[in-house]
Amino acid sequence: MSDTHVHTDIYGINEYRSVNNAYETQVPTGIYGLDELIGGGFLKNTVNVVCGGTGTGKTTFGLQYALCGLNRGEKAVIISFEMSEKQIIKYANSLGWKEIENHVARGNLKIIQRFGEEMLIPPLEIQGLIRDEVGSVPDRIVLDPLTYIESFSASGRKSLSMIFQNLRETGTTVATLERPSDAWDGVPSYLADSVVLLENLGFGEMFDRTLRIIKTRGLGHGEGLYPYSIEGGAGIVVRASEKQKERVRLKNEYSIVFDAAMEEAEKLGLILLRERIAVLKDNWTKAEDPKLILDTLIESERKYVRKD
Amino acid sequence: MFEKIEESIDQLFNLEGIEACILYRIDGVPIIVRAQEPESVLRMMFWLESQMKHVLADIKEGMKGGVFYMPTCRILISPASKSTVLVTIAGNTAHQQLTSIEVSRTVSVIEGCVS
Repeated sequence: MSDTHVHTDIYGINEYRSVNNAYETQVPTGIYGLDELIGGGFLKNTVNVVCGGTGTGKTTFGLQYALCGLNRGEKAVIISFEMSEKQIIKYANSLGWKEIENHVARGNLKIIQRFGEEMLIPPLEIQGLIRDEVGSVPDRIVLDPLTYIESFSASGRKSLSMIFQNLRETGTTVATLERPSDAWDGVPSYLADSVVLLENLGFGEMFDRTLRIIKTRGLGHGEGLYPYSIEGGAGIVVRASEKQKERVRLKNEYSIVFDAAMEEAEKLGLILLRERIAVLKDNWTKAEDPKLILDTLIESERKYVRKD
Repeated sequence: MFEKIEESIDQLFNLEGIEACILYRIDGVPIIVRAQEPESVLRMMFWLESQMKHVLADIKEGMKGGVFYMPTCRILISPASKSTVLVTIAGNTAHQQLTSIEVSRTVSVIEGCVS
């Protein structure tokens, strides 16, 4: 596949990323307006935590993410610790996502309800649930909410780490986490590959419902506070201004500066540094000239070169 | 709506002597930040973040605005709506009356957009 830029589908993905470094490795979230802020979507085979208080739209996020894949021919599994299959279908129908029933009937979507208290060894049981009840390997996994496993898991961090590792080997996961906005920073968040924070202050104003991207391992992301709304038929729609989007877009105008730095690194025999500059070039979203950073890299690496 | 707020804040920020304009959410989270020298404003932002929580109570009491007179600047804190507060940092060269008028205008634009 050539390393050219491709244009986007309805979710607006991959507009700014090259085919090689994104399309094959990223999963569109299905959340309108979010993919552009995280460089195209979640990375494949990662665990992504969506954190927020009651009524912020965590379940909607999970459903929307699953449906995005299902409507593109992928397979998904929703493991719910709160809602039954019937309740989830009813909720999806109320949002206008009536195709969910067809996906369940065709076996593309499996909805599993379990209670956290019933799980003796959560890491093994989640893996077993997916293997036994789904049969095939799902592309998308939704855990809603992870809070149950977290609170019933006796060995805490190790247990969650095992769950996350198993999930990464299976598919790309969205796990929701019930937390007030000032308490999102816990074990699941720092074990996760990305963390999205949903807030709802309840004043009924534009910036009450907001989304913040706390981290995305391996990808750059927007650092603003983005208002969002939950619309019937569409689901979560994130509203970022053009200026905010511009800050996350790849900047190609400094290619010459990067190329010159790569050439210099090669001349100095710093092959690893050359490769790292190439990665930096592919991910440069800042409006500023990277020359100062590149000079610092070359100067520092030059000092480390062994003079035998 | 978002663009309209940004545009209005940019106009205020472009006035002579304005060092920074920050739109805060009432919980102290900055929504829009415009600063001439972001590094120097950063320290002040930490202080302002803690002020926001006090402002919430004062807004409920009907507070219209507050001004802090610092050695090198003035800090204008203006509640824009139930959940947003505009902070303007004006240097000594900023025209005081013009700044006040423009702050009022910006606040009314923000209020119209977010409410």
